[in-house]
Amino acid sequence: MSKAPEVILLVDDDAAVRNALKFSLEMEGFSVRLYPTPEALLAESDLPAGGCLVIDYRMPEIDGLELVERLRHRGVALPVLLISGRVTRSLRERASGLGIRDVLEKPLSDLAGSIRRVLDDGP
Amino acid sequence: MSETSIALALEAAEARLRSILQTVPDAMIIIDERGRIESLSTTAERLFGYEADEACGRNVSLLMPSPYREQHDAYIGRYLETGERRIIGIGRIVVGRRKDGTTFPMHLTVGELRTGDRHHFTGFIRDLTDQQLTEDRLKELQSEVTHMSRFTALGEMASTLAHEINQPLTAISNYLKGSRRLLERMEGEHVEMLRDAVSKAADQALRAGQIIRRLREFVARGESERRIESLPKLIEDASTLALVGAREHGIAVTFRLDPAADLVLADRIQIQQVLVNLMRNAIEVMSEGGSVRRLDIATAAGPEDQVEVTVADTGAGLAPEVARQLFQPFVTTKRKGMGLGLSICRTIVEAHGGKIWVDSPPGGGTIFHFTLRAAADDRETDDA
Ligand SMILES: Nc1ncnc2c1ncn2[C@@H]1O[C@H](COP(=O)(O)OP(=O)(O)OP(=O)(O)O)[C@@H](O)[C@H]1O
Ligand SMILES: [Mg+2]
Repeated sequence: MSKAPEVILLVDDDAAVRNALKFSLEMEGFSVRLYPTPEALLAESDLPAGGCLVIDYRMPEIDGLELVERLRHRGVALPVLLISGRVTRSLRERASGLGIRDVLEKPLSDLAGSIRRVLDDGP
Repeated sequence: MSETSIALALEAAEARLRSILQTVPDAMIIIDERGRIESLSTTAERLFGYEADEACGRNVSLLMPSPYREQHDAYIGRYLETGERRIIGIGRIVVGRRKDGTTFPMHLTVGELRTGDRHHFTGFIRDLTDQQLTEDRLKELQSEVTHMSRFTALGEMASTLAHEINQPLTAISNYLKGSRRLLERMEGEHVEMLRDAVSKAADQALRAGQIIRRLREFVARGESERRIESLPKLIEDASTLALVGAREHGIAVTFRLDPAADLVLADRIQIQQVLVNLMRNAIEVMSEGGSVRRLDIATAAGPEDQVEVTVADTGAGLAPEVARQLFQPFVTTKRKGMGLGLSICRTIVEAHGGKIWVDSPPGGGTIFHFTLRAAADDRETDDA
């Protein structure tokens, strides 16, 4: 039963949101790495082979969709969950066009559940 | 009647016409059935910058920019052939062209004079960039657009508020969720009470989230109504509203409308708001200074059913402190600005499936671009 915890990579420009999500996800048994900006994630040299990316949509400079596009360009195939303060139909359409697994609206009462579903589905 | 009395009567009639043309306060132009200018009132001379002598005998398309210029002869021809009225007796807003090449929105009413089997047309023109413009038309447009823009501004504020409040709510509900998990593993006298309290607090955080969602739904209720609209007409109407007072600030306005960028799929009032916001920003920045003051509005048919609209000014350019977050709400450098204009533009354009962006050309000034979806043109085939 005691295999290594799955790694969640979380990008959000709001520090309180970042820290709160880390706390709740760790309590659910995940291992969480935080990135305050898309650039910080893009600069990461040691991306895990498994796990899941959780990316905020609305960020200054590079938005969540653009970040996913750049990651895909680099061959990063990790599954992605997009989170946003506001989910519109056009956002969903654009996200699914990029192969994003799901788009979740804040305040995110069950992020852990969505992550488990994505991980169970496999890559 | 004898020949001399006919000649006298003719002379008297001509003198009367001349005196009318010199004194009518409106710009008035008389053309023949081939579109040639026969006479011009003094006000029309001033408005277009042509002397009557220069203009008479030339085709009236002289006073129109492309693409109207090329189409005008065909319009008259079609009317004479079919009797179908597009403008005669109706009146509408069109674009005029001055001798110096600048263009301006104007209200045109056309009347018809028939003598024997010959037709003449009289055009009455009012310059809409002038202060004393058709009050009624302006009021009508204004009440539609400003009412809607108040509604849109409110919506933009509500949705920003919702977004901002959702952030701390996300933090609250996730701290509580983690705490609840932690409490499941703890034992002790007060743990049960604590679990209960944390769970209730989490419910309240969710309730706050629902209130926000309801607020947003309330505002989104005025679903936009997209129809097939004529882009030149949208631009003309929006300029009528936005250009009030532009002449006084010495701003020259040019329109460069691509004939291939005609019909678009749009919510008329919303797209007018986008245009008005962009034009007002341009006018505001140019009224502050600079010797060259030019506002240029252009359209271009692009690839993949896209139409691009640009609004370019020769103002001072973007302030560095706002350039990065230009389309975010509440970003302003103006003492009385709300910083909502551009964020409303973005919301509307994106809801139409388009994009909006800005360029700072090396020569100075600012260019805003946005795209709309072109609509298939059924009318063209009807006309052919
Ligand atoms: N054409 C332009 N040239 C230079 N700066 C501009 C131009 N358009 C917008 N800006 C800058 O962007 C800011 C935001 O514009 P926006 O239209 O969103 O708000 P505002 O004009 O300040 O206020 P509001 O439109 O709500 O009355 C402006 O305050 C101004 O600094
Ligand atoms: Mg503005």
